[in-house]
Amino acid sequence: MSKAWLAILAAVVLLPVFVRHAIATEIWIFAIFGLGLNLLMGYTGLLSFGQATFFGSAAYVAGYLLKYHGINVFLALGIGIVVGAASAAVVGYLCVQRSGLYFIMLTFALNQMFYFTAYQWTTVTGGEDGMPGVPRPSILGFDIHTPLAYYAAVALLFLLSLWVMQRIVESPLGKILQAIRENGLRAEALGYNVSRMKLAAFVVGGAFSGLAGVLYAMLFGIVPLESIGFVFSGNVVFATLIGGSGSLYGPVIGSFVFIWLSESVSSMWARWPLLLGVAFVIVVLFFRGGVVEAWARFWAWRAAHRAPAVARADAPR
Amino acid sequence: MSTALLFSQILNGLATGMLYALMGIGLSIITGVLNIPNFAHGALFALGAYFLYTVIQLVGNFWLALALAPLGVGLLGVLIEYGGIRPLYKAGHDYQLLLTFGLSLIVTEGIIIVWSPVGMSQLPPPLLRGGVDLGITFYPKYRLFVMLAAALLVLGAWLFLEKTRYGAIMRAGIEDKEMVSLLGIDIHRLFTAAFALGCVLAGIAGALTAPIRGLNPWMGVDMLGIAFVVVALAGLGNLLGSIAAGLLVGVAQSLVALFWPEASVAVIFAVMAAVLLVRPQGLFGIR
Amino acid sequence: MPLVRTELLTKSFGALTAVNAVTLEVQEGSLHSVIGPNGAGKTTFFNLLTGQHTPTSGRIIFDGRDIAGTPPHGIAHLGIARSFQRTSIFPTLSILDNVWLAAFARQESWRGLAWRRADRYPELTQRALGVLGEVGLGEKAGQPAREISHGEQRQLELAIALAASPRLLLLDEPAAGLSPDETQKMVALVRKLKGRYTIILIEHKIDVVMTMSDRISVMHFGSVIAEGNPAEIQRNADVRRAYLGGTAAP
Repeated sequence: MSKAWLAILAAVVLLPVFVRHAIATEIWIFAIFGLGLNLLMGYTGLLSFGQATFFGSAAYVAGYLLKYHGINVFLALGIGIVVGAASAAVVGYLCVQRSGLYFIMLTFALNQMFYFTAYQWTTVTGGEDGMPGVPRPSILGFDIHTPLAYYAAVALLFLLSLWVMQRIVESPLGKILQAIRENGLRAEALGYNVSRMKLAAFVVGGAFSGLAGVLYAMLFGIVPLESIGFVFSGNVVFATLIGGSGSLYGPVIGSFVFIWLSESVSSMWARWPLLLGVAFVIVVLFFRGGVVEAWARFWAWRAAHRAPAVARADAPR
Repeated sequence: MSTALLFSQILNGLATGMLYALMGIGLSIITGVLNIPNFAHGALFALGAYFLYTVIQLVGNFWLALALAPLGVGLLGVLIEYGGIRPLYKAGHDYQLLLTFGLSLIVTEGIIIVWSPVGMSQLPPPLLRGGVDLGITFYPKYRLFVMLAAALLVLGAWLFLEKTRYGAIMRAGIEDKEMVSLLGIDIHRLFTAAFALGCVLAGIAGALTAPIRGLNPWMGVDMLGIAFVVVALAGLGNLLGSIAAGLLVGVAQSLVALFWPEASVAVIFAVMAAVLLVRPQGLFGIR
Repeated sequence: MPLVRTELLTKSFGALTAVNAVTLEVQEGSLHSVIGPNGAGKTTFFNLLTGQHTPTSGRIIFDGRDIAGTPPHGIAHLGIARSFQRTSIFPTLSILDNVWLAAFARQESWRGLAWRRADRYPELTQRALGVLGEVGLGEKAGQPAREISHGEQRQLELAIALAASPRLLLLDEPAAGLSPDETQKMVALVRKLKGRYTIILIEHKIDVVMTMSDRISVMHFGSVIAEGNPAEIQRNADVRRAYLGGTAAP
């Protein structure tokens, strides 16, 4: 497990050397977003198709306050987390009471509601054009306008988020959520209020999404309408899936894959979502465990194929 | 506010409401039988509209197009179910669902590539152009036709589900799949049939909509959310519930559009959220 | 003093009355069996006790209080634990975790719920390992629950119920699907629990029931048609007719 942390730390340090700083920053932001979703999707077994609701709401609220009221960065981050958690509490309350199918449909439908509200409320959100002019104030006197400085700040926040999520999934709550995924009825019989636990997971996921949303707004200096739309919700689901929803680190890997793919392809072809759809289908049909599982399978295959070679070498002629 | 305007808005609401009901019923059948919310339902709706457009371009006959377009979508549905959903049966519902999501992206982008990213328009057939004098107001003939056609289709769906043997099997499949397969019915064929039927209904709703709202590649995305709302309110497999929910949403939307046009889309979801707050199981559903 | 008592407990699903005016008393520390043909309403009776169904009428008095209508997640905290007829475990979690979760739920305080590492609760882990040892699964604590045999899963099923430190144990066919050897082991296990827990047992294997029970209630079509100690039940003509098919098993 600490091998994984070493790898991630190495990635944090080396990434800006190979990749444009803004893209590198985006990867860690998306990883935070994915961590939040995976608590729901991988651990609790709740496929939430509306995470952009919390991401985008936090981005808009914090972005608005940053732009028009000049709040400081810490307050912006705090508000982002709170807005993400609060909107998740509202949406979650409506959704967790229904069974799996309805849950999924409701997360999507409520996402649409937030999207259309943002679309129409042009005075506040800017509608289709988004909310440009989001400033990036300095942190405790440190200017974070340069891409590298902001990268460092975001990377630190990502590491902090990863640590927090690790604590959560290794805690009793983490086990309870997995138990709920496996057998909700039995979890309830054991004495766990399943609805309340699901709601708790939802709120935590929302908090992570909210943090990611604020960081995103400050990265690009704009809150685009897409950040609260279903495409964004689908993107984070894809990233988590392709990384591997069965592991804590899956969303991190998935974020790498997704951002790299989308940034390189979308600049070449406007119809990039077609490839995303095809990739979705292929991953779902053939690579369900994502990169993490493929990696594990590869190592197992290697281990199995090494032994016979050794035996052959020792066998008498 | 004139009575004429109010009256025609209510009629608009009923027309769109019937289409919403059709979408809800189709989605309800797929979700009820296969246990997956079909994320491609909106894209297939859009495809129905585009198929209608193309057939009219090729043959010039609206009625033929209206018959062929849904069949085309239904055929695609068979391919999707057989080639994509069925192989994932063992993997679980979540993955089947994700497949439909991926397909929705492919279909939508496919529409842009094959036809055009720009919106297009489609005239109603010559027979149904112009308006009719209803006394209180003039009302477009085509919209009346849509109301009638949608109502007949809903009736047809009801007759199929309630009165025929195949319909009974489908309803049983929504209730208890294990029992249905124990009775010797090929559950896989049931799944394919249910999926195809749902797709046909989505396709015909799309085809009917084209002359009203025109065509654009994202016309399905909005519809998907609305179909989800109808199903969430009505409950799976509840035909009458879907009709009631669809009409409720359609009329509410039309009336709100009179006073507060900007909110006319968001209001659908707000209505849903309000209902679910009071009755978490939906208007008619059981949890 | 009866630990648990039902008074005219009834559950109807529309026209079907699954549990019909069942009145039953179980003394603390005793083992009370409920037997009857399939469909007699035994599992529905358990579901009423554990809150999965709300009674149509009647009362459930546990430790002096009417608990009818308690939601399922509240039952464990009253001190009632249940094992299920169809194995209901957490397949991908380890055997230890399966049991640990049952023990954790019953803690007075859930301090560190989302923060403390789950393996830093030494008393709980000890308790869980202890329960696993009792049922004979101590060696396999680290294995995922889905990798053990059916017989071992039935043992786990029981262990999960025990880990909740209950006062009342509801065992729904613990020997379901077990070979004769495995059944013997299960019987020995349940026998060890007698006296330490109050047990209500649903079981089809009559020899098991006859040797272990202090009292037996026989259900048929939702109603209790007979109640008494094993000897009385064996002699009862109504029971023979309904269940034992004319000739009693010795």
